Order: sequence, then structure tokens, then C-alpha cells
Amino acid sequence: MKQKKLLALLLSAAMVTTMFAGCGAKEETAAPAADTTTETAEATDDAAETAAPEENKFADHVTLKWYLHGSNVSDDAAVLEKVNEYLNEKINADLQPIWGTWGDFDEGATLAINGGDDVDIYFTCSWSADEYNKYAKQGAWVRLDDPSNNLIDQYGSDVWAALPQVLKDGAVTDGAAGTGVYAVPGFKDFGTQNTWDVNVTLLEELGYTLADVESRDFYSFGDLLAAAKEAKGDDFYPLVIEGAVLERMVTNSIIVNGDTAGVLSYYLDPKDVSNDIGSKVVNKFGTDEYAKFANQVREYYLAGYIDPALANGGTANDTLVAQQNAANYLIGTQSYALGYEYTTSAARGIHVEYVPCTDPYVDKTATQGAMMAISTASKNPERAMAFLNLLNTDPYLMMLLEYGVEGTHYTLDDNGLVVFNDDARATYSPWRNGMGNITLLTPTADEGVDFFTDTFVPYYTNAKAIPAFGYSFVPTSVENELASLANVQAQYALSIDCGSVDPATALPEFLEKLDANGIQTVVDEANAQLDAYFAAN
Amino acid sequence: MAKEKKRRINAVSVPTEILIHIAMILFCALCIVPFILVIIISFTSGESITEKGYSFFPNSWSLESYKYAFEMGYVLWRSYFNSFFITVVGTVASVLVCALYSYSLSRKDFKYRNFFTFFSFFTMLFGGGLVPTFVVTKQLLGLHDSYAAVIIPLMVNPFNFIVMRTFFQTSVPDELIEAAAIDGSGEYNTLFKIVFPVAKPGIATIALLNAIAYWNEWFIPMLYLRNDVKHMPLQHLLVSMQRDVEFLAKNAAMMGAEASKAMQGTSTQALRMVLVVLAVVPIACAYPFFQRYIVAGLTIGSVKG
Amino acid sequence: MANAAVKKQKRSSIKKAGRKKNLLLLSMVAPGAIWLLLLRYLPIPGLIIAFQNYKLGQKSLVQNILHSPFVGLDNFKFMFTTSDTWVFVRNTIGYNVIFILLGLVLSVTFAIMLNEITSKFAAKSYQTMMFFPYFMSWVVASYFLNAFLDPTRGLIPELQKSMGWAVTDFYNDCKPWPFLLILCNVWKQTGYSTILYLAAITGIDASQYEAAEIDGATKWQQIKYVTIPHLKTMIIILFIMNVGKIFNSDFGLFFTVPNQSGALIPVTQTIDTYVYRGMMSMSYGMTTAAGFVQNLVGFICIMIANTIVRKVEPDSALF
Repeated sequence: MKQKKLLALLLSAAMVTTMFAGCGAKEETAAPAADTTTETAEATDDAAETAAPEENKFADHVTLKWYLHGSNVSDDAAVLEKVNEYLNEKINADLQPIWGTWGDFDEGATLAINGGDDVDIYFTCSWSADEYNKYAKQGAWVRLDDPSNNLIDQYGSDVWAALPQVLKDGAVTDGAAGTGVYAVPGFKDFGTQNTWDVNVTLLEELGYTLADVESRDFYSFGDLLAAAKEAKGDDFYPLVIEGAVLERMVTNSIIVNGDTAGVLSYYLDPKDVSNDIGSKVVNKFGTDEYAKFANQVREYYLAGYIDPALANGGTANDTLVAQQNAANYLIGTQSYALGYEYTTSAARGIHVEYVPCTDPYVDKTATQGAMMAISTASKNPERAMAFLNLLNTDPYLMMLLEYGVEGTHYTLDDNGLVVFNDDARATYSPWRNGMGNITLLTPTADEGVDFFTDTFVPYYTNAKAIPAFGYSFVPTSVENELASLANVQAQYALSIDCGSVDPATALPEFLEKLDANGIQTVVDEANAQLDAYFAAN
Repeated sequence: MAKEKKRRINAVSVPTEILIHIAMILFCALCIVPFILVIIISFTSGESITEKGYSFFPNSWSLESYKYAFEMGYVLWRSYFNSFFITVVGTVASVLVCALYSYSLSRKDFKYRNFFTFFSFFTMLFGGGLVPTFVVTKQLLGLHDSYAAVIIPLMVNPFNFIVMRTFFQTSVPDELIEAAAIDGSGEYNTLFKIVFPVAKPGIATIALLNAIAYWNEWFIPMLYLRNDVKHMPLQHLLVSMQRDVEFLAKNAAMMGAEASKAMQGTSTQALRMVLVVLAVVPIACAYPFFQRYIVAGLTIGSVKG
Repeated sequence: MANAAVKKQKRSSIKKAGRKKNLLLLSMVAPGAIWLLLLRYLPIPGLIIAFQNYKLGQKSLVQNILHSPFVGLDNFKFMFTTSDTWVFVRNTIGYNVIFILLGLVLSVTFAIMLNEITSKFAAKSYQTMMFFPYFMSWVVASYFLNAFLDPTRGLIPELQKSMGWAVTDFYNDCKPWPFLLILCNVWKQTGYSTILYLAAITGIDASQYEAAEIDGATKWQQIKYVTIPHLKTMIIILFIMNVGKIFNSDFGLFFTVPNQSGALIPVTQTIDTYVYRGMMSMSYGMTTAAGFVQNLVGFICIMIANTIVRKVEPDSALF
């Protein structure tokens, strides 16, 4: 009997193991099957081009799982009922969104991708944990313009036609299946413009005007800040900054796409962002510009213009938001989005203006700011593409998913503009920029009737591309160096950027450590890739 | 018997006992003061925090944060209920599994004793890493989006096995079990009728540890429940608010203007304090209940003597 | 002879009874064992990823593993090629050693003290309060500490200002932090282990104390010769366990509590924070490799500790 028991134990163990292996075996046979469907897809390609009705291609009913970022959704039943009704009719599919939040997306999505979870579509971008270029290289995303099975041509021609060229160019990356497009970029605010956030109300109280800020730069703000400190007392910190943003604003550098350690810079010409000044990728902290910046910010810090809490990763953000909302500042840093001055003026109860440092520019980081990729583990990549196509071209579907059900989550006012029902929206507010083409949306009452057509689209489509626009650094070969550099950066960068340590001693120490951990290898690799990019274009 | 006990305790001299009290009071103050501060902060008005920071004596009081928390309505109460449900069911299940397993390990005459001791102990040292564990749990065992998905992955803690085994070994005399066997008591009967009552203090301790583990867990729900509000416990709500803020702070520089907008929508510190208070209060109330059992166990221990 | 036959028969019936008993005990072990097998043992082969350039693109984890090339120890390099290896190794192990020793002394002392208090009500109250911090997350603890240390609004800098002393910039000054981190750890963990020891003390047979007292043993001698020997097994087990985690650190304590301050990295960096800070730049294989190293170090330490214990005190060894 004892043997029996042991046998049973062993058997159950063996069963589980075979189940485990079974997954593999099943997939093994599934793989060629996928190939055959590819072939049939190609075979029906011609038929597709002669505009066969979509229903014919999608005879079987499927469920698409869709992993989103930044959501605040606790009740999606009403929305999904309508969405599925619509999608059943259009592409014979149900939608099952996974509402990732800011806090849980990174862990959840990378686990799901690495574990081959049955999610069909993932949010991806240049800054999330499932970073677009890196995961394209690792083979997590289906190449959408694969010459042997071009999903865009077959199922996504509408969305492709509707996107600005610069977004399509920005989506090209060197992935596992060759250089091409691995995700559908979202049509959102893809230009970057760093600005000074100015508390005009306070500025005028002090006897200055906005022109006084416009005519100055970071190095000559001293008298304005001193006046504010003088007037408002010791506990008032006139300069409210985000260290890393401030550094880029002052030195006119941009984020190097793929630099996960935050140690690289690429300098722009502030007068004309598209002008090629022969920039190379450099060690962010090793330049004269950086040293000059560090000294200035230290001077401001010592003068009491910067809250020490902003120099700690743990308190920086709460402090920043709290001081901004309480209008407890004179000048701040802000990465600008269109119309932001109206929103913040109203929220803070003061007159806020944004003074730009440069014209808006388009770089790869911004064009890859929010994208939708189809997972290579998806069993229905065709249907997923068809869904993305519909989502990005069909205002009804986009409105439904972004804003919810009309009459429940929002109503339309006399001008046909969206007014939210706050109660219902509290349980259903996805991240607006995290889905797709936001120009399909009906503007909100705050934005005004012509927001997208007259303001948004021209502003961003006229933004200039930077010289090395298509370049993105793929750090696969220097992962070891970047992992340790990220640690060195964490130790020094924020403190120096906010002036809480003396650059005279900290900066040389910092640079020495960067050298010891292989910054040069990373810079060389990045430049080799940059040269290759220029040679190819 | 009670008299003897008293005499034993009286063996400590009065000055010594006073010293003990002083040491205890100091340490307890250290432990409890921060919690009082959190309660005060949760009632402090936003302006006072901005002006004065955290303080035991805020400038002005406010129920604003509690009001805001209660406005979360369904999500808050549902998660509260879920926490209770998961904790109660999980604790009962895990105590049972633990007691059965460790009782066997405590029996010197159990043939496979060493094997199973090592079998459980080894898992404290080696694991397959996050992704493989996730895949086995979610895809192979199908544990996701249900109460079971939160309860089962936390059900076994090899550390508790060992604590419990030691407890059985030291507090349950072998003679007791042998005597029961001679009286013809079956193994399960001996365990439930004879050993369990003697081992009450140990079981209460393990139950408390498990209850706290279930109540405080947020990572497992985050992985296996995803956006399933129906089963989400309170701690997850609290931690996800905190993580939202942390994430945005970390990535703000990369995200650009979007981050600022998103940040405005995140929770305030005072609200998070309210949720901390709401999360701590029930377990603080439950604790004396467990403690009574520990005290009851103490009496049984001396009856035996 | 007849005697031998009877003996034989007896032996076989004992054997039968023994078999039945083992079987029943086995059935008690079963639920836990099956759980361990499924949720702990089955994922272990996944460690193979630590030696691979793990590639995605297949339909499942197993498929991905089968299709990924082996790269030897490449994934382990990042932990040993940085100039900071020494710092995080020192911090991880150093803090753990202090935590283990201090935790042991404090909680055994407290448990004995609690046991000696005459007033049951007082003992119970102390126990309750002591256990309180264990309920609280490090995130909350970091708020507490910040309330005291914040350079502009904290209680301590305010006090220093009002006394006319120099204000300590806590989040940029490494010196106080080893002390603060140890204090935080004691604050959070002591109550928990005190209860564990207390539970063991209450299980001690009261007659042993009586016997000791009749023999004229002082209180101190009773503690030394009755209480401590009884706690020995517990102490050793907890010790061996903690040794097994010597290369792991409590992420919240070392990352969240110091407010992620960069200036404090020399005294707060541990292997877990190091891996976390490099995470965005790392492949999945590298993360797995880090976990593997932690496991391996723990395993070796535990084996050594257990072997030593078995030599000195065979009954208390874990296995």
C-alpha cells in the first residue's frame, strides 16, 4: 500500500511534467500550422486586395486580449458590452482588455511576455519596461510589414494611410525579423517642447513681466529668483524643477532613445532644432556645458531657490506636484503639451504661461511614446491587426473605448462637445494617449470644437524632426555596462542636477566612476550605430 | 498550581521588574508612536502638511482624506471584504496544511521524516525565478482571476513548517502520542483530539503569522488578478496607489508632458495614510483575539506541568 | 523454538502497524508536499534561463527556452564587473550579520523579560504594541522616518534649528544611516521574533522551573540552565534560516526607507537594489542570474552552518 501511495505521488509528478512538456509538444505542432495559415493568408492576399468583405476572412470567433498601460478602470462591463457587440459584427471577435496601471504594468507585462502568456496586443513604447526597440530585437513583437506576411497591407492599410509619415518612420526599428515596423504608433502629441513654467501672477506681483523671463535664460534668472525669495520668505523655494528635464533644457540635449541608464546626450541647435551641427552621442556628464550647468544649479541651490526634497527620488515627485498645485513657485520646468497653460491656470488658481526653450521637435523617443504591438505568442495576429486598424480609424470605437458610453460616462453639449459624467468616469478612465489615434475623438468642452483640426494636428505635424531622427540606440551588446552605469547614475545624477551636492567634488568622482564602469564602451557603441545610421541614410 | 506559578514569577526582584518595565515601555513607545503619527496625519488638512509638514500638532484638522477615501465607494468596500474573505479562508487552509505536514515531521518514528524535512526546506533556498513560477501557476495550474489565485500561492510557507515542527517536538511529549497509540487512537484522532489542544499556542502563532501574510499581501494579487476588481484585496489598492506615484516619478523625465497630467490624477499622501489606517486597524483588532489563545495556551502548558 | 516464533510474529505485526502508521503520516504530508512540488519544484528548471541569451518569439516559455542559445556565464558578469561590487556585497552581508545577531539577542531578551513580568495585563499590552510595526509596510515606515528627518519640515531638523544647532541634512549624509537602517529593522522585526520565542518559552514545562528552584537556582541560573537550553533548537533553526538569506536583502528597507537618495548609495546599496536600479538595462537572463547567485550563496551558507551545528549539537541540526 505504501508503494501504491508513492506510486501515486510519482504518477502525479510525472503527469504534471508531461503536461508541462505537453505544452511544448503541442506548440511544436502548432508552429507549422501557423506557417500554413500564413501561406493561406498570402494566397488570399489577392482576394483581400480586391476588397473582399472582412467577415469572410474571419470565420471563427476569437477573443483578443489587450494589455494597456496607465489605466484607471474598475468597471468596464457597460463599455465592453457595446464594444463586443460592435466588434463581433466587424471582425468576429471579442475584446478582453487587461487594464494595466502605472504601478503594475511593468511587472505584469514583462512577466506575460517572457512567459509567453496568451495576450494578443501589448502597449509598448520607448520608456516602459517592455521597451519597444529592445523587445522587437528579442523577438517579442510580430513584424507588421514582414515582406513574407505583411499584416499592414492585408489588414491595416487604413490605419497606415491615416498616420503622419514621421510616426511611421519613427516606428521602424531593427528587430528580430529584420528592419521594419513592429508596432502601430499612436497618433498623439509626438513633438517635444521643453518650457519654463512661469507663475505670472507672482512675477507681476514682484514687478516683472513675462518679457523679463523671455529675455533671460537659466543663467540669468538669478535676480528674479532672489526677488521672489526676498518677498515670500525662507520657506519658499521659487525654482520648482525636475532635475533631468532641467538638465536637458539648459544644455539643449535630448534623450537618446535606448539609453536606459540615462547617461547619454545628443546636442541640438536651440535656434533650429533640425539643423545638423554634427553632433555625436556623448557622455552626458562629461561635457563643458554640463559642468557649467552644474555650477549654476549649485549656486541656486545654495541660495535657497530649490527645495532639497526635489533632490531625492523618493520625495521629488510628491513635492513637485504639491508645490505646483499650491502655486508655491515662480519658475518651473515643464515638458509642454498643447493647451496646458489653460488647464494649469485653472487648476492652480493663478496665471500660468509656458516660455519655450526651443521650437517643438520630433525625435524617436517621442514618436515611440505610445504604441500597440502584436505579440509573437498571439494565436490570432491577423485579427489583432484588424482590430488595431479599426480602432485607429473608427471614431465610434475609439470614442467608446476612450470615453465610455454616451449618456453614461459622458454627454455631448450644445456644440457637440464632450462633457464627462465624473461619477461614471471614476470607474472608467483609460489613459487617453495610451490607446491610439486621439484625433478621432470628439474634443472635450475645455478643448473647443476645432481643437484637433485647427490646433493639435497642425502644431504637431509642423514640428521639425531632429537631424538623427531615425536613429535609435540598441544596447543589447552593452547590457552589462548599462546595468552598472544605471547604478552610478542613480548615485549622483539627481543630486548634481538639483544642486544638492557640490559639483566641484562630486562631478570628478562621478566621471571617474562612469569611466570605471565602461561609459566609453557605451558611447563608442552608440556612435558606431549612429554612424551606421547616417551611412545608410 | 496557580500559587506555584506566582511564586516562580515572584522570583524576579522588584527592582529588576521595574527595570524590565522601563525597557519595555521605551521599546513599545518606539513601536507605537509612528502609528499614532500616521493617524494624526490622516486627519491633518492638506494645507497644514504643505505649511508645516508632518507633525504631532498640526495647524488644522480635516476629514477631507477620509471623505475622499469613502467616496471610492464600491471599490473600497469590495476590497475590504475581499481582504477579510481571503484572510479567513487562507488562514484556515494554510494552518491545516502546515499542522498536518509539520506534525508528521515532528514524529521521530516517521520513516520519511528526513526526506520531507529537506523537501520543504530546499524550497526556501531554491526557486525557479519569477517568470517560470508565474507560468506554472497561471498557465499550468490555471490560477488567475479568482480567490483561489490569491489563496493557493500563499498557502505554504516552509518556514512555518519548521517553526511548527519544532513546537510539536518541544511541547508535545512523545509519551503522550505513544499512550494514545496504546489506547488504540488512530493517527488522525491523536492529532486532532490530543495533540492539537496541547499545541494551541503554536497553532495560534502560526495562524496569526499566516493571517498577517494574507492580509498584507499585494504582489500575488497584482500578478494573478490583474484588473479583476471583484477579488482584489485592500492592500493591493493601497500599494497600487503608491506604485502609481513611484512609477510616474521614475519615468516622468522619459514620458514628457503626459507624466505631469497623469501625476495630477494620482492620490495624495494624506489619502494613502487613510488607507494605511484602514488597512492596519482590522489586523490590530484581530490580534488581541489571537493573543487570548496564546494566553490560553500558556495556561494549558502549566496544567500539563 | 517457540519463543523465536512468537517474537517473529510479534515483529511482523509491529512491522505491519509501522507500515500503516507511516502511510497515515504520509497522507498528512501529502497536501503540503503536492503544493511544494507544483508551485516550487516545477518552476526550478526555469533557472536555465540564467545561462541563456533568452529569446522570445515562440508560443510558450518552454518553447522559448528550447530555442534560446546558451551563453555560459555571460549573464553573471554584470554583478562582478562593476567597480561597486565590493560595496553591495559588503552592505548586503554586513547588514545581515548585524540584523541576525542583534535580532537574536534582543528578541530572546525581550521574550524572557515578557515572560517574567508579573502583571499579565502589562505583558499582554507590551506584546501587542511590540508587534505593531510588523503590520506596516516599508512604504509607510519611510513616511514615518521622513516625518522626523525631512530637511525642511522634519521634526529633528526643526528641533536642531530651534536649539541653534547645525541642521543635519539626513538624506545626503551617509554617517547616520547604518544606525538608522538597523534601528528600522529592529523596530519592524523584533516584535515578530519575540513572539516566536515567547511561544516557545510558554511551552516549557513549569515543573522544570520548580525543580530548579527547589535546588536553589537563582532566576538568572534558571534562565541560563532551563530557558536558554529550551530555546536552543528554536534559536539554531532561526539562525540557520537567516544565514540562508544572507545574500538577500529587504528591498523596501534599503530602497524606500532612505527615499531612494543617491547620495546614500554607499551605505544603502545591496544586491537587490543594485539589480533593481539596473533592471531597465538588463535582459531577463541577467535578472534570473542575479537570483540564482543569491540562491547559491544562501544554499552554501546554510549547508556550512548546518554541518557545523550537526557536529556540535546533532539534535538541533535542521536536517
